[in-house]
Amino acid sequence: MSIKKTDIAYISSLSKLKIEDIEIDNFTRQISDILEMIQQLEKVDTDGIEPMAHPLNMKQRLRMDEVTEENQRDLYQENAVEVEQGFYKVPKVID
Amino acid sequence: MEWEVVIGLEIHAQLSCKSKIFSGSSTNFGAEQNTQASLIDLGYPGVLPVLNQEVVVMAIKFGLAVNAQISERSIFARKNYFYPDLPKGYQISQYELPIVFNGSLEIQDQKGAQKKIGITRAHLEEDAGKSIHDKFKKTTAIDLNRAGTPLLEIVSEPELSSPEEARAYMQKIHQIVKYLEICDGNMQEGSFRCDANVSLKPKNAIKLGTRTEIKNLNSFKFVEKAIAYEMARQEELLNGGKVIVQETRLYDSNIDETRAMRTKEEENDYRYFPDPDLLPLEIDQSMIKEIRSQLPEFFEEKVQRYVNDFGIKENDAAKIANTIEIARYFEEVISVFDSNNQLVASWILTELLSAMNRNDLTVDQLGVSPKSFAKLLQRITDGTISGKIAKEVFISMIHEKKDVDDIIQSQGLEQISDERDIVPIIVEVLDSFPDQLEEYLDGKEKILDFFVGQVMQRTQGRANPSLVNEILKKTIKNN
Amino acid sequence: MERYTLKNLAAMLLSKDISSQEILEMYMQRISDYDKSLNCYITLNKDDAFEKSIQADRLIESGNTLSLTGIPYAGKDIFCTQGIKTTCGSKMLENFIPPYDATVISNLSNQGAILMGKTNMDEFAMGSSNETSYFGPAHNPWDLARSPGGSSGGSAVAVAAGLAPISLGTDTGGSIRQPAAFTGITGLKPSYGRCSRYGMVAFASSLDQAGILALTAEDAAILLESLAGFDPLDSTSVETDVPKYSQSLDASIEGKTVGIPKEFFDEGLDSESEKVFFNAIKIYESLGVQFQDISLPHLSLSVPTYYVVAPAECSSNLARYDGIRYGYRHDETDDLDNFYLTNRQIGFGAEVKRRIITGTYVLSTGYYDAYYLKAQKVRQLISEDFKQAFKSVDAIMGPTTQTPAFKIGEKIDDPVTMYMNDIYTISANLAGLPAISHPCGFVQSLPFGLQIIAPHFAEGELLNLTHLFQQKTDWHQKQPPDLKKV
Repeated sequence: MSIKKTDIAYISSLSKLKIEDIEIDNFTRQISDILEMIQQLEKVDTDGIEPMAHPLNMKQRLRMDEVTEENQRDLYQENAVEVEQGFYKVPKVID
Repeated sequence: MEWEVVIGLEIHAQLSCKSKIFSGSSTNFGAEQNTQASLIDLGYPGVLPVLNQEVVVMAIKFGLAVNAQISERSIFARKNYFYPDLPKGYQISQYELPIVFNGSLEIQDQKGAQKKIGITRAHLEEDAGKSIHDKFKKTTAIDLNRAGTPLLEIVSEPELSSPEEARAYMQKIHQIVKYLEICDGNMQEGSFRCDANVSLKPKNAIKLGTRTEIKNLNSFKFVEKAIAYEMARQEELLNGGKVIVQETRLYDSNIDETRAMRTKEEENDYRYFPDPDLLPLEIDQSMIKEIRSQLPEFFEEKVQRYVNDFGIKENDAAKIANTIEIARYFEEVISVFDSNNQLVASWILTELLSAMNRNDLTVDQLGVSPKSFAKLLQRITDGTISGKIAKEVFISMIHEKKDVDDIIQSQGLEQISDERDIVPIIVEVLDSFPDQLEEYLDGKEKILDFFVGQVMQRTQGRANPSLVNEILKKTIKNN
Repeated sequence: MERYTLKNLAAMLLSKDISSQEILEMYMQRISDYDKSLNCYITLNKDDAFEKSIQADRLIESGNTLSLTGIPYAGKDIFCTQGIKTTCGSKMLENFIPPYDATVISNLSNQGAILMGKTNMDEFAMGSSNETSYFGPAHNPWDLARSPGGSSGGSAVAVAAGLAPISLGTDTGGSIRQPAAFTGITGLKPSYGRCSRYGMVAFASSLDQAGILALTAEDAAILLESLAGFDPLDSTSVETDVPKYSQSLDASIEGKTVGIPKEFFDEGLDSESEKVFFNAIKIYESLGVQFQDISLPHLSLSVPTYYVVAPAECSSNLARYDGIRYGYRHDETDDLDNFYLTNRQIGFGAEVKRRIITGTYVLSTGYYDAYYLKAQKVRQLISEDFKQAFKSVDAIMGPTTQTPAFKIGEKIDDPVTMYMNDIYTISANLAGLPAISHPCGFVQSLPFGLQIIAPHFAEGELLNLTHLFQQKTDWHQKQPPDLKKV
């Protein structure tokens, strides 16, 4: 199954990835190969089969409603490049 | 062409748990930026969500309150999109199998009839953080304290047919979540937010028109006005042969208009899929039963009880029960003073509420305990002070925080109810106004009010007005 | 070269033949001498490790030891380690220093184990050769021109080359077992839910599992006792007790039934490999194991299923890498969209991008049902195949890989060929089952591995079988040729 370059461009923008022009042909070919391999799934009859989201048959555990975290802003922000007055900063967004 | 409006409301209620939905961070409002954001809230590499039990209980309470079905098995799904205040690059929400679905409530439509509005679903999700655009010059400031706060998203069927109905529905949901104590309903703080979906269709047509979404309406008034504006805007476009663009809009209350948002959020394909870090939420009947037994009395039941047990007018009962804090106050007052329930009701609906509004305070902030309030009303009933004086005493109680009797004594406000004290003043008044006395004797009955007013003036309003009235008539007659 | 097992070291520490500090010095020296040509470590934790070894020696002196006191180990650079750089083999996290430990890391340190360093890996665990690492490929000590496998390549090399007695890895589609097979050591992937995933950087959340690369099953058993266990911070962590795996290693396997799936022998496996495998089977037979042919009818679909599910989950898991709170952030970008695009463009390598794109695609509107939902249904079928098989057998065996280690550069430009490497290992991840790979011979003079798959939470079964095999054979003791000091 061939995927078009325009599809790659759209999917890339959805996932905030940029594929450079020099890479795009190779990339498109590789993704097409992968999708072709995945196509094999079409062969199987899965009528009436439940999708399996988890390998174990478990239900969600619940935790008590209590505050267990304390303020560690300075520690956590050590990994952030751009921080001012405790805020994270990003290029301005226009709403 | 006659157009009909179709409105659906999506309400986001912040659940009033102590900790967040998937992490143990505090949910307190107003903390300094990023001091309530744990590694889980920040979406650090390797962190995982664990579900807060209380949010499940709260969602079930809501579901029961609107006669909805509670899913025995519901799934958390990831809603994937990029935005700086969404740390993981996805929001954990619910998509195909929400915890609550198929509910309804009743509002009064424009003709005063009861109208049933369907609630399609209510699901659990986490809130995003805040983007602050005007803090820094070239950058947007991100505060993630709010990221991970539990939300209950309540979606109505598109069955609202006017801005007024939308407002009524929103008010009803507001009342319910406050009654249930699952949300504080504080729209200023953003704990209760409303988005409205508005579209027009030709009258009696089946097919719905293109809808626009108006986001983040944070008052009942704005919901009504924004929808009204949007209706008019769409009607003008359609009548001019133009097409409605499906888009997200914001309401500007300063100019009473909606405008299109400039971000491209609505173009997103959210690629919902079940969150593999969370397992299916299973709720059994015994849990639902337990929660059902803990539900508080609802509005309609309360009104009936006030009418039946306390004997007050239904209209007044409804007004009091409308706000849970006022209802509680009322009941506490009655529990210590039950000889004149209608007086309690009237005073709450007039003096108490207007004092709250004037000072922009809640009933708790006003600082007059139910016991003190009861005492004040007791003093009216036992004739110590007149109703008019009582209003002044009440104001002193609010501002000086003193006891009722202390205020009455220190300001010498006791009602004058002894005939022997009143008669001399009456005589003085009658002597001072012979012309008016003549007019009265001639038949102008209204002059009596003038005399009463004069007596009240001379007694700084402390004379018992009905007694004055009685004695005046007697004195005039006897003379 | 002398390679010491964890068991050896523990015994030597106990009898005070050697101190923890001396053990550490020995490994640090070997790392210094040989890691340049192997490139299996990204970061060393020298100072901290030495401090801990001194503390360990004190405890040993006073007789207050825990189960792993003084034992050094290496950890795949996917586990968050407090105060120690955790890169996931990526430029995106090149300078990331986590403020917390992964639960499995604290489990080990709570028992006194000493982390020596973080090992090389395919970027964000995506790969089967350790060639996608931003920090360069790791090299197979058996032939430096060959890949050690991946994504836990560095962890495997460290143990195989004697640069660590034991190491932690992760396995999402075979990333512990395949490198173990390629480097001639033992690799264990526990059941899904057995070990906590908290602090283990997520690739594919419903498939990822922490595990062990060791010289022997016995070592893996000892470490697993401390590694495994319920974690309230991980909703997918299971609340079952952790058995004393090291105490059931010698249980008799007489009469145990093992299935060999015929689908493992359809194509792709060459005759030399098949021969080596069946010779190993004969050993098991001599130990009393009874073999039967079984079928896992949907096995051939495991690779396509995996390459829908894993990329889908990873496309979402990697959305958090935007440079805002941590991670690579480019200096000059003025608008928000470019900000995201540039950070992720520079931060991520080609394979990661391919998987994110594939994953985004299969989840997108119009394709979700045909791909993602379909794959989850096939996953159910694959799982059912195993359930069915385990009705008649105690365990399943097959080769771990179709070929021994391939040359670095041989498959990197052809993703699908690379993906087919995982054909035998992937299905265990899809079904959440525990699996082990142990050396069973040589093919083209390179190590070859045998894989055993067991029912959920039957890690003990895997370790028991492997241990008895290792008592009777010496494949696991074969060492790579001596390395030259660089």
